[in-house]
Amino acid sequence: MASASCCDVSTKRRSTSAIVACLAGNPNVGKSTLFNRLTGSAVETANYPGMTVGLNVARARWAGQEVQLVDLPGTYALDPVSEDQWVARHGLIDWQPDVVVAVVDATNLPRNLYLVLQLVDLGLRVVVALNLFDEARRQSLRIDPRALSQALGLPVIATVARRGEGLDELTATAAAVAISKDGLGRGRAVRYSAAIEAQVAQLVADFEDSGETLPEGLPPRAAALALLEGDQELVAAFGETDAATATGPAAPSRHSRRHGRRTKGPHDRPRGGRRRAAATTAAATTGMAPGAADRSPLAVPIAAARHAAAAALAETCTEGHAVGNESAADRWWRATTSPLTGVPILIVVLAAVFAFLFFVGGWLSGLLTSLWTATASPVLGAAVHAVFGYGALAGTLLWGLDGGILAALAVGIPYILTFYFVLALLEDSGYMNAAAFLADRVMHLFGLHGRAVIPLMAAAGCNVPAIMGTRVLATKRERTIACALVVLVPCSARTAVILGSVSLFVGWQWALLVFGVLGAVGLVAGLLLNLILPGEPEGLVMEMFPFRRPSLRLVATKTWKRFWMFLYAAAPIMLIGSFALGALYETGLIWHLSRPLEPLVVGWLGLPAVAGLTLLLSVLRKELALQMLVVFAVARFGVAAHDLRTFMTADQIIVYALVAAIFVPCVATIAMLGRELGWRRAGAISAGTVVAALLVGGAMAHVLPLL
Amino acid sequence: MFHHPIAEYEGIGYPKQAAKGAYMNQRSESREEYLEAIFKVTQHPDGATVSRVADELGLAAPSVSQMVARLTGEGLVERDAAGRVLLSSEGRRQALRLVRRHRLSERFLTDYLDLPWDQVHDEACKFEHVLSDEVEERLAAHLGNPQTCPHGRAIPSADGELPPEKARPLAELGAGQKSTISFVSDEQPDLLRYLSSLGLLPETAVSVEDIAPFGGPLLVRVGRARYALGREVAGKIFVRA
Repeated sequence: MASASCCDVSTKRRSTSAIVACLAGNPNVGKSTLFNRLTGSAVETANYPGMTVGLNVARARWAGQEVQLVDLPGTYALDPVSEDQWVARHGLIDWQPDVVVAVVDATNLPRNLYLVLQLVDLGLRVVVALNLFDEARRQSLRIDPRALSQALGLPVIATVARRGEGLDELTATAAAVAISKDGLGRGRAVRYSAAIEAQVAQLVADFEDSGETLPEGLPPRAAALALLEGDQELVAAFGETDAATATGPAAPSRHSRRHGRRTKGPHDRPRGGRRRAAATTAAATTGMAPGAADRSPLAVPIAAARHAAAAALAETCTEGHAVGNESAADRWWRATTSPLTGVPILIVVLAAVFAFLFFVGGWLSGLLTSLWTATASPVLGAAVHAVFGYGALAGTLLWGLDGGILAALAVGIPYILTFYFVLALLEDSGYMNAAAFLADRVMHLFGLHGRAVIPLMAAAGCNVPAIMGTRVLATKRERTIACALVVLVPCSARTAVILGSVSLFVGWQWALLVFGVLGAVGLVAGLLLNLILPGEPEGLVMEMFPFRRPSLRLVATKTWKRFWMFLYAAAPIMLIGSFALGALYETGLIWHLSRPLEPLVVGWLGLPAVAGLTLLLSVLRKELALQMLVVFAVARFGVAAHDLRTFMTADQIIVYALVAAIFVPCVATIAMLGRELGWRRAGAISAGTVVAALLVGGAMAHVLPLL
Repeated sequence: MFHHPIAEYEGIGYPKQAAKGAYMNQRSESREEYLEAIFKVTQHPDGATVSRVADELGLAAPSVSQMVARLTGEGLVERDAAGRVLLSSEGRRQALRLVRRHRLSERFLTDYLDLPWDQVHDEACKFEHVLSDEVEERLAAHLGNPQTCPHGRAIPSADGELPPEKARPLAELGAGQKSTISFVSDEQPDLLRYLSSLGLLPETAVSVEDIAPFGGPLLVRVGRARYALGREVAGKIFVRA
């Protein structure tokens, strides 16, 4: 974080007369479904600088009230020990919601109620949505919402978000709680052990004595508990020495950094010497050194007490044990993680995904291409020529408008749409985590998590959505490695180049060799990056979700939303890139570019000079590498040159395909890298691939003739 | 399911023990709870202090202090120079008898009544107080003198012997093994906190369901949730089994 302030303007509560409601809950409890159900389509995402997890904000009307609904990331708790928890916690503090809708999974109440109790401890007004109520009933868990409501002291509404059941009651109740002036929705806080309560009382008294102004929206009891739980941000805000204050936000602790659960810098709050009084008390009572408090002996007892309370609460309102009557689907689902059956299933699923991407994506690609060339292309061509004649300007425009859009239709869009669809399907069914579990060990070699397996596979369709898909990874280190590897996976366009050149003109065995070399390059790159990049791979802690039948409607919505995000980010750059290359080509400048490339292309790689040009052009669209090679060759050497063998040896064709496949993918990929990782890392990865391509290509050019 | 009765949630959490109960049976049950709690806490590396015993029982320190004084008078409990609470040999014998009955009851509940193993603890807390010596003996014989409870902990022998328990990393367990978390290494406080927010806490029952191939992560069940834990993480969680 560059600045001391950690909050974007957009992440702060706006001055508005509308009710502000936050949506909180564990991952995979139907929170997003509920969010989509409760709001319209216009969703803005507010990001904290440096965070990959954002807050979705949308407007809605509940019981006639204008509502601004903030969707917090799915978390198990609100301790700032992981990125999602940090964002969720700050979302609550910064937005100061009038009401928090806590979505809980009725089939796993004990763990879900933990978060609810933590919300109550923070002094927030809470309404509980007892979601997946139908699922619980199917598992013969009979939960009495009224009993739960009584025990918690909070309104509890049974909901089935997927089907929209109970949502009217939920929104009406939430609106009522938000505007109520009494204690409605405050809940009954956990009474901790006498020892803990005594320390809480002591801290609260200290706050009053020292006249401390607590962070806005944080009641004294909440602040006291947070301090006792070792909330580093709060401890830092209270206990920082003046010297420490001058150095700005505290760096993430060594442990948290190594573990990837970063604790971000403290809130930018005014600090003063007087705060140290309270901090010292907190430090003394918890045995922490002020300021440097890295461990809190009370964090675990408090968590344990909260869990015990949550378990007891769940018990008071639940009848029946769900264990024992595992359904057939559950048993089948267990097979996905058992090593004996899981690995074959994983292979089949990966193959199916690959095939789906290839065939459906390919089919869509053909369909869109032929539609475009049959309808839009001639019209565009005629229009441009009619207005701008046949000069360089017209050519450039056609490159951009016709060629650029055609490139998007042929390569990007079909594979991206299909990939997003498959991704949503895998996520919503819960299979994604099973795949990650099985692949984790292999991915560990590269300093990655098992979760990286999905984007890496998707990269075989198109690198662009795969780079967006690396968002499933938690740390920037992992995402950087994963992106670098994604870029080295031959996408459908690069596969087309390899097949169309090596396989066609040299032989399929040599094509296999090319793929083998690519695999080796990826392996080495992954191992090297894991060695070079600072930090260590973080430990895997991931919940394994039960199987849920994905709803086609929700999958389609998710696919569409992500697809638009992609178009918004990548389309302009693809078009600009097309115009730029078109201008270079039409003005003939491109031929001048070939001269400085000659030493590399001819000298080192041993390729004809014209090949270097087409490699350069292929940055726009990788399959252009081949098309252009043929076009240029025909222009130079005559019609017979459509057969590459007339002007290139077998070795040259192999080297050419290798270089084309390894070095920077297309402009869209670079743009996406820049968006996701920042331009420095995007530049480094792109440059790295160029170096790798030259090294491998050159080595092959020198080794192959010897074979 | 949670062994850690620190919370008092409006009386619905861990039953508040009637320390000054009017009835004899209540008093003896309460005495037994104290002995059991002290036994458990004395296994803490720093020994048992009154406040730790109070935390374990979910009671206020003053009332615990009173009861400890009474137990000391009865020769069941001793205090050392640092004020720590120790069990006398008679106190230890009684505590172990209770532990034995508790774990035998758990075995019975799982093996004969098919209750899920992660839910028998609370039931066994009630059983342990109503078994007579004879019932205990017959129960043990009937169960085939089991060596461990369903959570994998050793059952003390009838003459009060308990083999020392050694905690080992969860990562060393095989698929299908069940155990109870002893402690989580606090080398990485953030990890410790993250795991505790998930409910991976001391005295929680965990079972290893699957282990991913090539030394991959472990799939563990905790209550109704299943988690994949990487090797390094599972190496930080120490269990008894």
